[in-house]
Amino acid sequence: MLLELVHVSKVFGSTRALSDVSFDVRPGEVHVLAGGNGAGKSTLIKILSGAITDFQGDLRVGGAAVRFHAPQAAVRAGVATLHQELSLIPGLSVLDNLLLGERRSLVSAWRGGAHVAECRTLLERVGLGIDPRRPVETLGLSERQLVEVARALRRAASVLVLDEPTSSLAEPEAERLFQLIAELRAQGKGVVFISHRLDEIFRVADRITVLRDGQVGFSGPASELDQASLVEKMAGRPLDASNAASSPESAGVTLAVSHLASHPELDDVSFELRTGEIVGVAGLQDSGSSALLRALCGASRHQGELTLEGRRFSPDTPRAALAQGVCHLARDRSESVFPARSITENVTLSSLGRLFPTGLLAIRRERALAARATEPLALVASSLAAPAGVLSGGNQQKVALARCLLAEPKLLLLDDPTRGIDVAAKADVHRLVRAAAARGTSVLVASSDLDELLALSDRIVVLFRGRRCAVLSRDAFDRTRLLALAMGAEAA
Amino acid sequence: MKALAWLRTSSGRALVPLAIVVLIGCVFHQNGAFFEWSTHRAMLREISVLGILACGMTLVIVAGGIDLSVGSVMAVAAVSVSLATMPLGLGGGTAAALVVVLGTTLGLVSGALIARFRVQPFIVTLAMMVFARGLAKLLAGGKKVTNYVALPDGSSTTVDLPALFRAIDSKVLGDHVSVVTLIFAGSLLVTWLVLARLTAGRYLYAVGGSYEAARLSGVPVGRTLVLAYALCGAFAAVAGICQAAQETHGDPETGAGYELDAIAMVVLGGTSLAGGRGGVGLTLVGALTLGMLQKILSLNAFSTEARLMLTGGILVFAVLFQRPWQSQQ
Repeated sequence: MLLELVHVSKVFGSTRALSDVSFDVRPGEVHVLAGGNGAGKSTLIKILSGAITDFQGDLRVGGAAVRFHAPQAAVRAGVATLHQELSLIPGLSVLDNLLLGERRSLVSAWRGGAHVAECRTLLERVGLGIDPRRPVETLGLSERQLVEVARALRRAASVLVLDEPTSSLAEPEAERLFQLIAELRAQGKGVVFISHRLDEIFRVADRITVLRDGQVGFSGPASELDQASLVEKMAGRPLDASNAASSPESAGVTLAVSHLASHPELDDVSFELRTGEIVGVAGLQDSGSSALLRALCGASRHQGELTLEGRRFSPDTPRAALAQGVCHLARDRSESVFPARSITENVTLSSLGRLFPTGLLAIRRERALAARATEPLALVASSLAAPAGVLSGGNQQKVALARCLLAEPKLLLLDDPTRGIDVAAKADVHRLVRAAAARGTSVLVASSDLDELLALSDRIVVLFRGRRCAVLSRDAFDRTRLLALAMGAEAA
Repeated sequence: MKALAWLRTSSGRALVPLAIVVLIGCVFHQNGAFFEWSTHRAMLREISVLGILACGMTLVIVAGGIDLSVGSVMAVAAVSVSLATMPLGLGGGTAAALVVVLGTTLGLVSGALIARFRVQPFIVTLAMMVFARGLAKLLAGGKKVTNYVALPDGSSTTVDLPALFRAIDSKVLGDHVSVVTLIFAGSLLVTWLVLARLTAGRYLYAVGGSYEAARLSGVPVGRTLVLAYALCGAFAAVAGICQAAQETHGDPETGAGYELDAIAMVVLGGTSLAGGRGGVGLTLVGALTLGMLQKILSLNAFSTEARLMLTGGILVFAVLFQRPWQSQQ
C-alpha cells in the first residue's frame, strides 16, 4: 500500500466535510475519486497533499503513520499533487517553476544551467518541446497546465494526485497525459485521478471510490460499474426516466440565442428564453456556463446572433446591455458587491442613470427607493447606511440581487447566485428570483448546484465543453440524468 | 470602549492626529502666537494651493488612481496665465478660463490613456508630469514670466500686475480671510458636490472600489476615469493660477514635488490609496493637520531639516493610526 487514509473525518465549523472515509492507493494502479460538488473530494485531496493538517484519523505512507505538517512534507514523502487551479508563478522561468520549493544550493540556483537539460527531457516527456528558460507568462493555458504536470511528475516519487487535470487541456495534450498515466502505472506508481468526465474515468480507472456528502458511497473495482451506475452512486438515487410534471405555458420569446460562441470557452450555443421563464444552465466548471452569461451581458467578445424581444441585440459592454434591460449578477461577490459603500449605494448603482437622469442625486428619494427595494430581502442589517462589507455573504448576495432587480431588467443573468451562502439566504434568493419571473422578467441562472437548478428552473440547458448537449423541460427533470449529461454522457 | 466608538469611523480617526497637533500647538504656543487669528490665516493661505491640488487628487484617488502630474500641470497653468495677462494683456477672466481649459485638457489626455488602454495611472501621469514640465519651460522660454515685458521695438517696460493677480493675493472680510483660502473652500465644495451629490461621484467610488464590479454593474467606467483626471487637471490649473498670483510671476519650475504633498494630504485624511473609499472632508482634515503642524514647527523656529524629518515621522504615525481597527473580541 503506497498511501492510505484510515477512518478520516474533517469538520469545518458546523459542516462535516468528510466522515469516516477510508481510501488507499496501491502500487501500479489508478484510483479514481468521483463525487458531485460538495461531496468532499477537495477536502480529501487537501489532506493527501498536506494542505489540511488537522483531521481525525490516520494517514499512512508505505504502511507507516505520518502527519504532513505542510505541503512540502507531502512532496518529500513522494506524494505530488496536480491542483486544479494553476499554481505557477508567471514571472519566473519554466525551469525555476519546476524547481521551486526544492533545496538547491545558491550556486546552482544562480547558474541554473545544470538543470536545463534535465528539465528539457522532463518537458519532452509531457509533450512540451519548449525551452525551459522561457518565462511562464509567455505560455498558453494548456502549455502551463503541462508544465504543472511536468512538475508533479518530477516530484511524484510514489503517488501522483491529479485533480481534474484535463479541464484546461485540449484533446491531443489530454491524450499525452493518459499515456503518461499508463507509464506511471507500469512503473508501479500509484495515481489518484479526479475527474467529472465519465469517458475519462472509465478509460483510466482500475478502482473507483465515490464520495457522497462526505461519506464513501462506493469503493471497488471499476469493472463493477458502468456509466449509468456510477452516476447513480454519485447522485444517491436510481435513474428515473418518467417524472411527469406540469409543462410550462408558452409565452413570447424574450431572448433568442443562435450559434453563440465566445472563444475559447463557448462554442455554438443556441436556445430560446420565454417571457417570465426561468431557464437553468447546468454544466461543470469548464462547461462555459459563466462564459455564456458574460457574453450575453456584453462583458466578453462573442460571435453569433442574439435577439432580444424581436430586435437584434449585440451588446459590446455591460452598460450597453443594461440600457437594453439586461442585468448580470457575477459569480464572484468581489465582482458584484462594493463592500466599502453603503447598502443604499450598492442597491441603486445600476439604476442611477434611470432614476436621476440629470446626474444630480436626490438623496432622500434614493434612500426611500433603496428601502423599498431591500424590503423583500429580509436583510439582517443595522441600517441601509452601513457598508455592505459588514453583511454576511448571503446578505451581500441579496443586496447585489436587489441592485439587479431595481434596474427592472427584462432579462436577468444570474451566475451561481447562491454559491457559498447559507440555507436561509438561499431560500430568500430563490423566492426573489421566482417573484421577478412572476412579474415577467426572464431569468437565466447558471449554477453548480444541480438541486438548485431542478428546484428553480422551468427548463434546463445543459452545457458540456462549451457546447449545448441537451435541453430538458420540467417534465423530463431528473437529477441523475442531469448529472450524467453534464458529465458528458450521451444524451438519452 | 463604547464611548470611543466614534474613533472607529473614518472621520473620527482622521480627527485624532489633527487634535494631537492642535494640542501640541496649545502647549508650544510661542508666547500666544498660536492663539492669534493671523497665524491661522497665514496657515490657511499657505495650505490653500496644495489644498486645491488635493481636492483634484481626492477625486482621482477615490477612483482608484493617482495623478503625479499635478505639480507640472500647475506650472503650465502658472506660466500660461502669466503670459496671457502680462505680455499678451488678456483680461483676467478670459485668461483664467483659457488656462483652466488647458489644465482640463492635459488631465483629459492622461485620463483617456488610462481609460482606453488600461495603462497604470502611475506610469501615464508620470509621463504627463515630465511632458507638462517641458511644456511649461517651453512656454516660458526658459525664464520666469514677469511683468517686465519686452516691447515689439526691442525695448522693455514694466506693466502693472494684472487685476486677477492682485485680487487673488488680497484679503477679504475685514482682512480676516485670504482670497486663495476662499478659492480652496470653493474647490472643497465642488469636490464634495461631485462625490456626494452627483451620480458621477457614485461611479467614481464604484470604479475605485472594483473596476470589474463597476463595469458589470453598468457603470460607464471609461467616462468616469476620464472625468476624474480631467477634473484633477482643472483643479491643478486653478492652483497654478493662484500660485502665479501669489508669486506675481509665472515660474516654470513651480510646483515641483507638490503632487507628493497633495497625496500626503489626501492620505493623511484617511482616504485609501486603494480607492473606493474616503472623501473630501477627510482631505480637509488632512490638509489642516499638515498645515497646522508646519506652522507650529516654524513658530517654534525649528530648522527646515528638522521640520521635514518631523513631518515625515508624523505622516507615518497618522497613517498607521488610520488603519481600520481590529474589532475587539
